[in-house]
Amino acid sequence: MLLLTPLVFATLTSIASAARLTVSIPSSPPLLPNPGSLAPSTHAILLGPPGTRYSAPLRRDNTFAFPDLEEASYLLTIQSRDYFFPPLRVDVTKAADGQTIAAWQTFRGNEWSNKGPQYGSAKGTLNIQVSPSSQKDFYQHRGGFDIMSFVKSPMILMGLVSVVFIFGMPYIMDNMDPEMKEEMAEMQKKGPLSGSNGAASQIQNFDMAGWLAGKGSGAESGGTVKKR
Amino acid sequence: MLSTLLTAASLLLVPTLAVFADEAWNVDYHFALLGAPKEETSFFHQPNPSSRASLIYTLSEQHALGAVNPRDGSLVWRQLLSSDGIAYRNSFLRAGEGQDVVISGVGHEVAAWSAADGRLVWSLSTEGPLEDVEILELSDGKETAGAKDAIALSSGANPTVQRIDGASGAVKWQFIIDGSDAPYQLSASSTQIFAILIHKTILGYVKLRVVVLDRVTGHKVDEYSLSSENELSTTENIVSVGANSASPMIAWTDSLYTTLKVNVVGMKSMQSFDIASHDDSPIEHVKVHAPYHVNSLSHFLVHYQTATSHWADVFHINLKNGKVEKAYSLPKLAGRGAFSTSTSDANVYFTRVTRDEITTVSSASHGVLGRWPLNTFGVVAGIGEQVEPIHAASEVSVKGDTVSAIRTTILLSTGDWVMLRDGKGIWNRPEMLASTMVVTFALPADAAALVQQLEVEAHSNPVAAYAHRVQRHLADLQRLPSIIVSLPQQIVKGFLGTSADDLTASDTFGFRQVIVCATREGRLVALDAGSPDKIVWNVNVADLQPGQSWEPYLASRIAGVVEVSSRAGAGIQYNATNGQPLAERLPVVPEGPQVPSSQVVLYTVHDGTLEASYNRTPAWAFTPMHGERLIDMVPRPVNDPVASIGKVLGDRRVLYKYLDSNIALLVTAQDSMGTANIYVLSTVSGAIIYSNVHTGVDLTIPIASIMSENWFAYSFTNEASDEASKGHQLVVGELFESLVPDDRGMMGATTNFSGMQTATEPFVLTQTYQIPEVISKLAVTRTRQGITSRQLLAVLPDSNGIVGIPYGAVDPRRPVNRDPTKDEQAEGLVRYTAVLEFDPKWFLNHQREIVGVKNVFTSPALIESTSLVFAYGLDIFGTRLSPSFSFDILGKDFNKLQMLATVAALAVATFIVAPLVMRKQVDQRWRFL
Repeated sequence: MLLLTPLVFATLTSIASAARLTVSIPSSPPLLPNPGSLAPSTHAILLGPPGTRYSAPLRRDNTFAFPDLEEASYLLTIQSRDYFFPPLRVDVTKAADGQTIAAWQTFRGNEWSNKGPQYGSAKGTLNIQVSPSSQKDFYQHRGGFDIMSFVKSPMILMGLVSVVFIFGMPYIMDNMDPEMKEEMAEMQKKGPLSGSNGAASQIQNFDMAGWLAGKGSGAESGGTVKKR
Repeated sequence: MLSTLLTAASLLLVPTLAVFADEAWNVDYHFALLGAPKEETSFFHQPNPSSRASLIYTLSEQHALGAVNPRDGSLVWRQLLSSDGIAYRNSFLRAGEGQDVVISGVGHEVAAWSAADGRLVWSLSTEGPLEDVEILELSDGKETAGAKDAIALSSGANPTVQRIDGASGAVKWQFIIDGSDAPYQLSASSTQIFAILIHKTILGYVKLRVVVLDRVTGHKVDEYSLSSENELSTTENIVSVGANSASPMIAWTDSLYTTLKVNVVGMKSMQSFDIASHDDSPIEHVKVHAPYHVNSLSHFLVHYQTATSHWADVFHINLKNGKVEKAYSLPKLAGRGAFSTSTSDANVYFTRVTRDEITTVSSASHGVLGRWPLNTFGVVAGIGEQVEPIHAASEVSVKGDTVSAIRTTILLSTGDWVMLRDGKGIWNRPEMLASTMVVTFALPADAAALVQQLEVEAHSNPVAAYAHRVQRHLADLQRLPSIIVSLPQQIVKGFLGTSADDLTASDTFGFRQVIVCATREGRLVALDAGSPDKIVWNVNVADLQPGQSWEPYLASRIAGVVEVSSRAGAGIQYNATNGQPLAERLPVVPEGPQVPSSQVVLYTVHDGTLEASYNRTPAWAFTPMHGERLIDMVPRPVNDPVASIGKVLGDRRVLYKYLDSNIALLVTAQDSMGTANIYVLSTVSGAIIYSNVHTGVDLTIPIASIMSENWFAYSFTNEASDEASKGHQLVVGELFESLVPDDRGMMGATTNFSGMQTATEPFVLTQTYQIPEVISKLAVTRTRQGITSRQLLAVLPDSNGIVGIPYGAVDPRRPVNRDPTKDEQAEGLVRYTAVLEFDPKWFLNHQREIVGVKNVFTSPALIESTSLVFAYGLDIFGTRLSPSFSFDILGKDFNKLQMLATVAALAVATFIVAPLVMRKQVDQRWRFL
């Protein structure tokens, strides 16, 4: 034990001197139940001050590792083929013994000082977990043929109503009681469109030649047509 | 009312600018490439030690590491080990026997990758560039169980040998080699590690120094030099330094290839063998093929290649006394040959691939165990070109004394990587396309011929034109029989398919254009955009020597003809359909106004100054400020048709666009300040008509820029500051003659305008959007007449995709801090938001991953709605885009069957209803009378 202690101490100090960030992707059902299914091209990018940019591919244990970070403020983005991940802000600052590293959520298009919830903060080595925010949906589906929407369309509804009238009216007429029928017939006779004096018959029987010749402008039916 | 309708329409339209599920895998095409595989880093390996199924692993010239399924040639996984395009001298790929990882070494990085899925297992950076990476095959009990350790040799200021733990990637020990000798290679035996270094003598010769290290402790055990007796003048004559075979050895030849010297590593003596000359032509190179397994027989094969023939000798090493004996020879055969080594238990088999056959022999005796004749490799090559194998890798299964099955992958001289199973072609990967430098679109020669004939008719007198037309129709009659034969098929297709499917029969839409790619190896490769699965033709146009490069320039000025020229040479023209060279006449560049003016202006960069010359006389020069460097210049495309000179507003008034064909966008950088400067220049007068400066820009990240019509766009990455958020930004600027509707400003009623005389400055509206990732290249869709709205194409290197951003989404006229008015809504403008997220539906590549795209080329189709897109770099990707929807073609959404069913239903209904109506009319007549 005595022999081992300085060894352990030595390794600890060497780790503590350089900031190290490990980002792991946990299983987050229902969106991503198995992070092992992520494509091997999934990678994380740590964008520091101009000229500093680290890229880490996804490891077998679903983590990204950034060893040896300099003191700066970084933007961490995770790029995956199938999922969106939230952007994070990672700050590495100098502390009394070694470096302090902290991570927050950040919001695109907002001031850099606008930090969201903290993901973690540690001396030396920071392990954080980042879950995908949503799945990417690449495809636009065309509105296919749907019988309900077809029937609901106004054109078809109007057509259907007229079909109902065409086929339904004779039946309704037949099934009406005789009194009602008489009444209807009376009404039709009185109506402006029916009967020998109705507008319809007047138009049909209009005497064009006589009208052009100026015959009977007063009492005859032509007058009403002229007015219309 | 109209405006609300328009609004409704625009709201409906915006989200549908996307990849449709039914078009996704049909309209677009993609070659997931790796680049030309290297011989030493291509092999079969079992990703899962418990299963016998193997994958082909390769690390290519482009430093793409990938696993290919030997069954169909599809890519299982891929990692790009050099994303910034740096070409490293050395790259290594090793797979330990029975290991589930492959270990790569590129540049300064040793990395272990999971063989089955391509995930990183560990990685380690070395101080100096890597010179060799090996796996310690023989266990010494010091490893983590199940993982074999790796050793790496790096050069640089402190040449180092490191032993790396196979499970964690931690360094177990390292040994710094003293002296100024250049590290060359590593070799290992069961107890020792040998570092071979190159020692340059005073006389300029090369001596081999071997440093022997203890495997477990890393301490130096011994050191000796091999007296190569002044015969080794360069390292190129070292033909092999074996590693991991049962008996590693070093072999070299003299510069004239007359003797072969072999030294078994660990022995201080060497043996020499005379190289018999079989041929008049001198030997071009000598290669050693040895098994890469510790348990196999210690046999090796030496392959001699001349310009016209090749042969091989097989040697055996006696493990007891280290003596090397020549066992047998393989006869001389014409052409190039490729040898590959495979093992089965301890036995070693050599497979020889020549132009016309594959043979397999055992290393023990020269009896042929299997022979498969080859008629063709099944690849497209130039006329009269002999396709030769360059290198091969094989997997043999042996039953008794014969080879029962053999799978061989061969890299051919055409650049194709093919797989043969028992001599029959299984798949073919066009890896030469991974090194595409420039591309152009050309109309196929037959379509172009018709266009030319029509032009002849249009320009001659009516009588001659009529005679010509009759003649043409008579000639067309000859095709009648074939048309009649294919008629039933076409009718069936016409009923069942959609019009967009019908590409093979005729090309009325201009989708079937020939895409010609010039590769770094000096070849022209043509694809058909209509049926892109196969290569149309592939010819060698520049006979490049190793190490030579060319700067090709491709153009198709005459329809049906592709012209290639290198910077130095004159142009040669090729038929676009079959790749036959046309009469070698020099291209006549038409003089005068036929050439668009921006082609007349020639730009050169001289001492950081951009100089423009107009008809070879210097016109103007743009000298950036002190400390500024030019990054990029994008002139407005030569062929950039614009349908409308103004933008119609919602209230039917017009905002006039500033349309000048002679403008260019110039991007410069000031490294000391971290600023990027943007200029819009008039390329006629050299005047700056717009400029902007961005501070805190990361200049190591690409700044992409584009100019088209009356707008420009660029993207950059900036550091957080008081006014800007950290991240990536896209800026879009639009130039107007005046910002007052229905007013042309300074231009007034003038019809003519000269950039030299009047200095009219446009009114520029710009808007900045925060984007989620880096854009490495911008392009814009092009249509025939420019009526269709444009789509901004952005290459996203981080998410391996290309995104098509509708112009409406980045329009600088989007209202800021307020909701759009009715008129603005009618135009389709939405309220400005600082963040522009890339909708996954905008990704042209959808689920595909397009890696290493360097450029995107767009070309108009013959119909106005569609633009053809072709992206190249490492991968090849192409698609068709309709930014304003397919308004002039029936797309997939048009259901022919449904239409036919409706017609049929109406017909039936008419037949049923007709007698009813008839009866009713008759009844009515009776009733009325």
